[in-house]
Amino acid sequence: MKSLWLLTKKNLKLLIRSKSSALVIFFAPLLIILVLGLSYNTSSKYGLNIGIYSDSFTEDVTSFMMLLQEQEFKIVKYDTSLEECVSDIKQGFVHTCISVPSSLNVEDNQQKEITFYIDPSKINLVWMIQDTLGNKFDLKSQELSKEIAGNILSKLSYAKTRTAESSAQLNSVKEQTTAASNSAEAVKGTIESIDLKVPLIVYDNSVVETVKSGIVSKVKQSKNDLANARAGIEGATLEEGKDSILSSLDEAQDSLDDVSSLLEGNSSGFGEISVLVESLQHDLIQAQSKLASASEALSSSTSSLESTATQIRESVTAMATVQTSLDEMKSALEAQKVTEADIVAAPLVTKVERVGQESSYLNYSFPGLLVLVIMFSSLLLGTTLVMMEKNSPAFFRNYFLPLRKGTFVIATYLTNTVITLIQLAVILGVSLFFLKSGLPLIMPIAFTLLVSSAVFTFLGMAIGYAFKSEETGTLASISLGSFLLFVSGLILPLESISANLRRVTTFNPFVITEKVVRELFIFKAPFSSVWADIALLAGYALALFAGILVINYLMHRHFLEGFSKHYHKDHIHQQKAQRNNV
Amino acid sequence: MKLIELKEVGKKFGKNTILEDVTLSIEEGDIIGVIGKSGSGKTTLLNLLTGFMRPTSGKILQSFNATQGPVNLHKNLHKIKDMIGFAPQHNSFYPKLTVAENLLHFGQLYGVKRETVVNNIKSLLQATELQAHHNKLAQHLSGGMQKRLDISCSLVHKPKLLVLDEPTDDLDPILQREIMSFLKEVNKQGVTLVIASHNLPLLEKVCNKIFIVHDARVRDCGLIAEIRKPFLKEHFTINLNVSDKRDKIMSYLKTLPFTKIVDKGHHIVIYPQNPAQTINSLLKVIEEEDLYDMDIRRPSLGDIFEQITEQVTLEQK
Repeated sequence: MKSLWLLTKKNLKLLIRSKSSALVIFFAPLLIILVLGLSYNTSSKYGLNIGIYSDSFTEDVTSFMMLLQEQEFKIVKYDTSLEECVSDIKQGFVHTCISVPSSLNVEDNQQKEITFYIDPSKINLVWMIQDTLGNKFDLKSQELSKEIAGNILSKLSYAKTRTAESSAQLNSVKEQTTAASNSAEAVKGTIESIDLKVPLIVYDNSVVETVKSGIVSKVKQSKNDLANARAGIEGATLEEGKDSILSSLDEAQDSLDDVSSLLEGNSSGFGEISVLVESLQHDLIQAQSKLASASEALSSSTSSLESTATQIRESVTAMATVQTSLDEMKSALEAQKVTEADIVAAPLVTKVERVGQESSYLNYSFPGLLVLVIMFSSLLLGTTLVMMEKNSPAFFRNYFLPLRKGTFVIATYLTNTVITLIQLAVILGVSLFFLKSGLPLIMPIAFTLLVSSAVFTFLGMAIGYAFKSEETGTLASISLGSFLLFVSGLILPLESISANLRRVTTFNPFVITEKVVRELFIFKAPFSSVWADIALLAGYALALFAGILVINYLMHRHFLEGFSKHYHKDHIHQQKAQRNNV
Repeated sequence: MKLIELKEVGKKFGKNTILEDVTLSIEEGDIIGVIGKSGSGKTTLLNLLTGFMRPTSGKILQSFNATQGPVNLHKNLHKIKDMIGFAPQHNSFYPKLTVAENLLHFGQLYGVKRETVVNNIKSLLQATELQAHHNKLAQHLSGGMQKRLDISCSLVHKPKLLVLDEPTDDLDPILQREIMSFLKEVNKQGVTLVIASHNLPLLEKVCNKIFIVHDARVRDCGLIAEIRKPFLKEHFTINLNVSDKRDKIMSYLKTLPFTKIVDKGHHIVIYPQNPAQTINSLLKVIEEEDLYDMDIRRPSLGDIFEQITEQVTLEQK
């Protein structure tokens, strides 16, 4: 245990006493944690640049934009053409384009479609956009859904109120109708109770005929008698004819007496007639009584019917009101155009459109992978080459060569370039096997990667000059590469890191190179559209080259002195050891 | 002709004074040995001579171009880099290149034409006896071969001045002699040599001039004979191997005038006051006692160096 502890203690001492090792081992993790902490110490504020395209920026579209702006998304309006927005995705100016209909009001049972245009090569960003904006769209969709449901509910509420009112009215109608019905029933009973039955008596009309004929004959006779009397009067003297006249008159008197008797009923014929008349009178009285009752019943019925009529009129009025309510309800319900449950539940639908040609995931991830390989190989090569030279026994002799310091730097760079060219030939050659469509793009991509590799080589070389041992230099290169990778958006979307660092990361050579290669490879962008980024990379390379020259100028003597001191010290130690042995 | 001249040159690293008040010159054709204890400033002196280090004070002038006269070494260093060769303490070549590749690489980088370099390489390989190994990786050579290769790398462009720091370090005595004889050959071809080494006997054999560096100063510099002169009388010694006749000889010696007698048992070292008289007296005893196992020595470079450093220590006390 003791020996283990002693060995561990020795190792720690050696590490701490080597400044660069101590720096890398103790401070690099802290630094990385610090930077990453600062980078990702952000809540949900994503730095997305969102292009909004709409035919017309109506209130709906503006409110939608406001909703997105709440998340601190940067909104870019495109009102001329969608293609312009899509083109800006390819250029990387915006992360997504959203084509929004000018009105988000859902009508005619048709969902409103909002189309996302995304760059599929930024896979992680795609997910982030879909996730983040999807939430926003869900919110908007919910808002619209709520609005529609609210409309429906308000209409239902209105219908409910109107139905309640109608129901009350219908109750009234019902009561009135019931009353009317009862009245009608009562009238019916009353009418039914009227006895209009006439007894089925067969009156003996022959008596009357007999009496009639008797009277007629008597009257005729009387008439004749009277006529005779007149004739006798006219033709004879009064004496001569008085008897006859008197006889005729008597006879007429008798006939009339008979008639009178007949009429007075003293005769049997009239008795029968009397009975008959009495019977008739009785019947008539009875009929009169019945008619009186019927009249009363009719009077009562009339009153009831008037009441019933009133009730029915009121019912009709109430029913008209109900009818009106129902018509209004119908109108209100008919005004509700959205009737399908699916549309009420999801009035907005999102559609994702990919920008560029449909390709495989290899295509999409190819630019990132390519830059990744170039970055790490260039960084490590740069560091290794410088370290190789610095730690080579021949390093000291280089000082005595009649060469400029820049010559060594350029030579190191050229060495790296040769290796990079070979790597590029291999990588691009192999990749062509899988991505045959990329053949025409090989040259611009290779050129971009070559410029990029210059940047990474110089970075690696700077690390090589800054660190003493090859191990720490390599570790630093890997750390730097990992850091650049981490803040490149290849692993985590850059848009999810804090805004300040995000601005810085846009200057990350990895990000720039990947962007250029992506535009060239995936969007087939013309070289003219990426030259500015390539120029920036070239600028980095030149600046780093100049920086390395300055470092070299300032540090070269220091390196050499350290180098010679190192060897000299060795010598001293050897001498001391020899002396001790002696 | 003075190739390099140092005038009151001082060098400090921070507060540490490594060298101070150094005034010396290097003449064309010299073989100069730089001696001093470890850490005395020898390497720093060489670094100043080659222009690798700038002095903190004083001037370093160079006259490699005879027509120009002495000019500041550092300001004109780029013009004379191809006239200086430097072989540091450690081997300074690429271990993974072959012997020939190393030589060709450095030769061409010095701006020498390829044909000339090839010729130089041939002669160097011959002189260093590395022809048979020219295709071997440098790392596979023996220590002596590597040292010879390293010196060859410093010579491949045919410099006027070759500065060597511990060229025989870690080499066996035979190799040490080989290296030194090779350097002598180099010097014969017109190359001025400055050699820093702890191997004083070899330096004594090879060099014509010596710079003695001690305690941040060059205590003495010049021709070895000139430096030795003040020490000749005082450090003239007679060494006798007395074996079993020690007591008898010692009692006789005490009758003679001497500065010091060092008794090492069978071996006695006599520092005579009057060398001529002592030798004459001893010749008789030698003959009588059959003491032919003896020699007479002038002060060695080591003696001189020891004496000088002791003097400095005494002065400082």
